[in-house]
Amino acid sequence: MATPKSFDQFVSSDLAMLLVPLEQERKKVASMARISYILGGIGVILFLVSSSSGQMAFAVSGFILFGVAVIIFFVFRSNKEDYVSSFKEKIVRSIIKFIDPELEYKPGLCINENDYTNSGLFLQRADKYWGDDYVMGKRDKTSFCFSELHTQHREGSGKNEHWETIFQGLFFIADFNKNFSGRTYVWSEKDPQLNFFTRMFSGLEKVKLESPDFERTYIVYGTDQVEARYILTPSCMERMVKLDEMLGGRGISFSFVNTNIHVAIPGHELFEPSVFSPNDNRDLGNYYYTVQMVFEVIDELKLNDRLWTKE
Amino acid sequence: MIIYLATALLVILLAIVFLYNNLIQKKNAVNNAFYSMDVMLRKRYDLIPQLVDTVKGYMIHEQQVLSQLTGLRQQAMSTNMDINSKVALDNQVNNALQQIFVSFEKYPELKASQNFLKLQGAINETEEQLAASRRFYNAAVNDYHNAIEMFPSSIIASWMNLQQKAYFNIPDSAKAVPSININ
Repeated sequence: MATPKSFDQFVSSDLAMLLVPLEQERKKVASMARISYILGGIGVILFLVSSSSGQMAFAVSGFILFGVAVIIFFVFRSNKEDYVSSFKEKIVRSIIKFIDPELEYKPGLCINENDYTNSGLFLQRADKYWGDDYVMGKRDKTSFCFSELHTQHREGSGKNEHWETIFQGLFFIADFNKNFSGRTYVWSEKDPQLNFFTRMFSGLEKVKLESPDFERTYIVYGTDQVEARYILTPSCMERMVKLDEMLGGRGISFSFVNTNIHVAIPGHELFEPSVFSPNDNRDLGNYYYTVQMVFEVIDELKLNDRLWTKE
Repeated sequence: MIIYLATALLVILLAIVFLYNNLIQKKNAVNNAFYSMDVMLRKRYDLIPQLVDTVKGYMIHEQQVLSQLTGLRQQAMSTNMDINSKVALDNQVNNALQQIFVSFEKYPELKASQNFLKLQGAINETEEQLAASRRFYNAAVNDYHNAIEMFPSSIIASWMNLQQKAYFNIPDSAKAVPSININ
């Protein structure tokens, strides 16, 4: 079984060899970016000098330098993608296999948009939807999958158009251990999706529960009051509050739909390697801890306790 | 002057209507919650014969509790009881079931039986659904009590002669449902 100590050993023995050529590639990519910025910067300066001194030669050389910088930048971008791809294939995949050889990792895929929409966790329509680092597997009796997701909504129009992020972070779906037929939503108090008006047309009722700690952290809506309480038992509520604390109070939300549990954990670029600084043990540890975090959610919510009629 | 009086009267009238409707809504919510609970109680009573049949061959020392359970079930099915009597009966059934659940541990051959495992799952589910419906019922009763006791709706409540309702006891052992675990 993977432990932090065995992971450290794994990093220093197995991963160290794989990291050396990747680190060289990273340095090449990073220096390409720096050259591009420097040339671009010099080009701009020459342009400015020419406009104040009136010398065309400066403008022309500035323009050429800037052009070269742009070309180098595009090459850098493409090389960066190759580097990230290589890193994920070699390093992230090894880490995931180390945690559990049965886990499947697909760096280029993400959670299906239908599953995201059907979870009902975010009511705003996503105009842009993308993600990566899809992992799927089974933890004891619980099937699950997760990926990074970034969804955005277009606001305003014409000149005022800008993009608002709806969700960015880890989106996780697991098979819940009880059967239910309706929908129950547990939104973080930090980001409740319904207001007084939208609630009226949603077909959902507010569910007021007995735990004050839980009520302070989350806000619950559902299609059936009894079913919501069947899912959210006193011990389950206690564990959900604990999870929120464990994850630093960043505002996680849950939904229970189609006998699955959906969990949205906000975060940034969870599996992306850094380009401008070496990937040290702490960065590698982050990948390990991200997957472990998913396991913690499953264990903490006791999804493997299959004591009812759902297997 | 008359206009001000008329407006004041209209406002008071509207307030009374609002408070009255709110009280009716809360009262109906309690009845609604009770019907949901009744459905769950019925599901649980339906499982009792199956439970008794499955375990009676094994649980030689619990025959008295098993026949008590059968008797309580017959009582539940036969008469039309008021809410308070149903509460009392439910509590008796809870006590008997708790005794049976605790005794499962003494019979390893029972725990190995497939029929028993399926039954275990069904009982756990029913007990938890019942616990959930009790919590909903108690929440509805709490809202209702707040409405009939708090000013100013307490005034309207006393005109309507609304009475307090009994809370369902959620036995401590049923709050964390008896996890009849085979491991």
